[in-house]
Amino acid sequence: MRIVAVDPDSCVACRNCEYACAFQQAGDFDRARAHIRVAYYPAERACVPFTCMQCAEAWCMEVCPAGAIARSEETGAVEIDAARCAGCKMCLLACPFGNIGFDEAHGVSGKCDLCGGDPRCVGSCISGALEYVEVEDAFAFRRQALDARLRHVLRLDKGRL
Amino acid sequence: MRRHVAIVGNGAAAISALETFRLHDRHSRVTIVSGEPCTAYSRVLLPYFLRRTVPYAHLFIRDAAFYRNSGADLLLGSAVERVDVGARSLELADGRTLSFDRLLLAPGSSPVRPPIPGLEGPEIQHLWRLDEAGRLDRLFREGARAVVIGAGFVSLQAAWAARQRGLEVTVVELAERILPTVLDEPGAHILRECVLDSGVGLHTGAHTEGVVRDERGSLRVSVEGLPPLAADVVIVGTGVRPNDHLLAECVAPGQRGITVDDTMQTAVEGVYAAGDVARGPVVGGGPRTVHALWPTAVEQGKIAGANLAGARAVYPGSLSMNVTSMFGVTVASLGRFAAEEGDSVVRLGALPGLRYLQVVVRDGVPAGAVALGGARAAAALGYLRPFVRRQVPVADVEAVVTGEHVAGGITPGRTRGRAVLGSFAGGRALGRGLPGSPGS
Repeated sequence: MRIVAVDPDSCVACRNCEYACAFQQAGDFDRARAHIRVAYYPAERACVPFTCMQCAEAWCMEVCPAGAIARSEETGAVEIDAARCAGCKMCLLACPFGNIGFDEAHGVSGKCDLCGGDPRCVGSCISGALEYVEVEDAFAFRRQALDARLRHVLRLDKGRL
Repeated sequence: MRRHVAIVGNGAAAISALETFRLHDRHSRVTIVSGEPCTAYSRVLLPYFLRRTVPYAHLFIRDAAFYRNSGADLLLGSAVERVDVGARSLELADGRTLSFDRLLLAPGSSPVRPPIPGLEGPEIQHLWRLDEAGRLDRLFREGARAVVIGAGFVSLQAAWAARQRGLEVTVVELAERILPTVLDEPGAHILRECVLDSGVGLHTGAHTEGVVRDERGSLRVSVEGLPPLAADVVIVGTGVRPNDHLLAECVAPGQRGITVDDTMQTAVEGVYAAGDVARGPVVGGGPRTVHALWPTAVEQGKIAGANLAGARAVYPGSLSMNVTSMFGVTVASLGRFAAEEGDSVVRLGALPGLRYLQVVVRDGVPAGAVALGGARAAAALGYLRPFVRRQVPVADVEAVVTGEHVAGGITPGRTRGRAVLGSFAGGRALGRGLPGSPGS
């Protein structure tokens, strides 16, 4: 399966992904409704997009008392069925990454569903920070990104700061 | 080896065990035995059904096809009378017996009937089983008067549902405060205000003396120090106790719950227990506890299911977690949220979407928390949960509960320029997200 992989070094915090997601998921450009968020750390001059990792053992899915969360056979995305969601917020409590949102208007939880296999965030990314890649490829990528981030934080690559 | 595995119960623990068992063993015979006549339903949803936010059909979280596809035979409406450990068989209420090689006891818990005279009649109900919820649904007529005895998690949700359905509701609680197992004092105080604001009457420290029926058949609830409360429906919610009588020899004297080790096995070889019935290990050691919570039942069921198949899974211990929305506020708690001597506390309040949050910290390690507010209250404790679960010291608790350690804050754009890099889960918190197992 494929996931939305993130390369923090390429992100320029333009927030296009947030706008694209909000428009796809909620029909307007209210970024608070987006299921991807760009965290911006000015002191470190770092910005990192965060979205659901479609965990292999998705605790939100296992713990949902309404049986409303299931993995899509097509895309592998962990999806919330709004019709079955009771709005109990157990999934919000279960996710350690804050990647589940709550739609107050409809009283249901919502999360990244990979847009059915065509994630709009990736399509709107202007800097190549978001890629829709196979999980195995994301693995190798992650090691590189972590190394880069550590160099960055430890000021080992002075030219960048 | 092809065995026969019997699972007593058909709730969160039983279903989770069945699903996990089948990941390890596709051949053994499995039989699910349940006293209730239907496929698995979610007890957690019953208050939501009464609130009319969940339709009846959606209470059922597994259908007949699920059991077929999982290769499980169903014995529904067959209560287990006795477990004969020596003969390895179950005696059912209808006289049949069922032999097993391995057994999982996941029969849940039952509501406690308090020693209050007169708790009899069709208008007096617990909110625990599906049939009870159905009866309450029919009793919830607009303008009817409801008296709720007890102010725990289920009772208050029942009171909120009744209120939303247009009933006049009065809650009577023997203790001095509401929700002692879910909220700390300040949290309970905030919720109390919300209860009163919703128009529900609330009497704490109030002793219910009895329920009487007058000559016209109307109910009156007499409460010490109050005028009698006329009632069309009485909801009794004074806690639950494990259905542990099936294996009484594994219940410690003076306690409730079947004691299990960290593999969910009881003292009897090949006999496991999980869910509300089990007294199992907790995160961080300490005495074994009966949680009677949905997430704990799911986790314990997974471990038991794996071990029924011989997989040797070990349970790191349960961590209590509660969340619901009632009276217009999201209420969430996690772990040990009441501060004791030697603890320090971190309090946040009056942030957008968060009315109150307290984290209890022991020697730098968060032990538990309470949060009230909007959806953010639940998300805040979600961020904190891995640290409590793995007992990881946290230097900046505020950064964790606001999500700044992973995402620069829950509110988009809200930043304070502080990245807590690599604070947990290695590089996962840094961005390049990977499927993993953050939960358990």
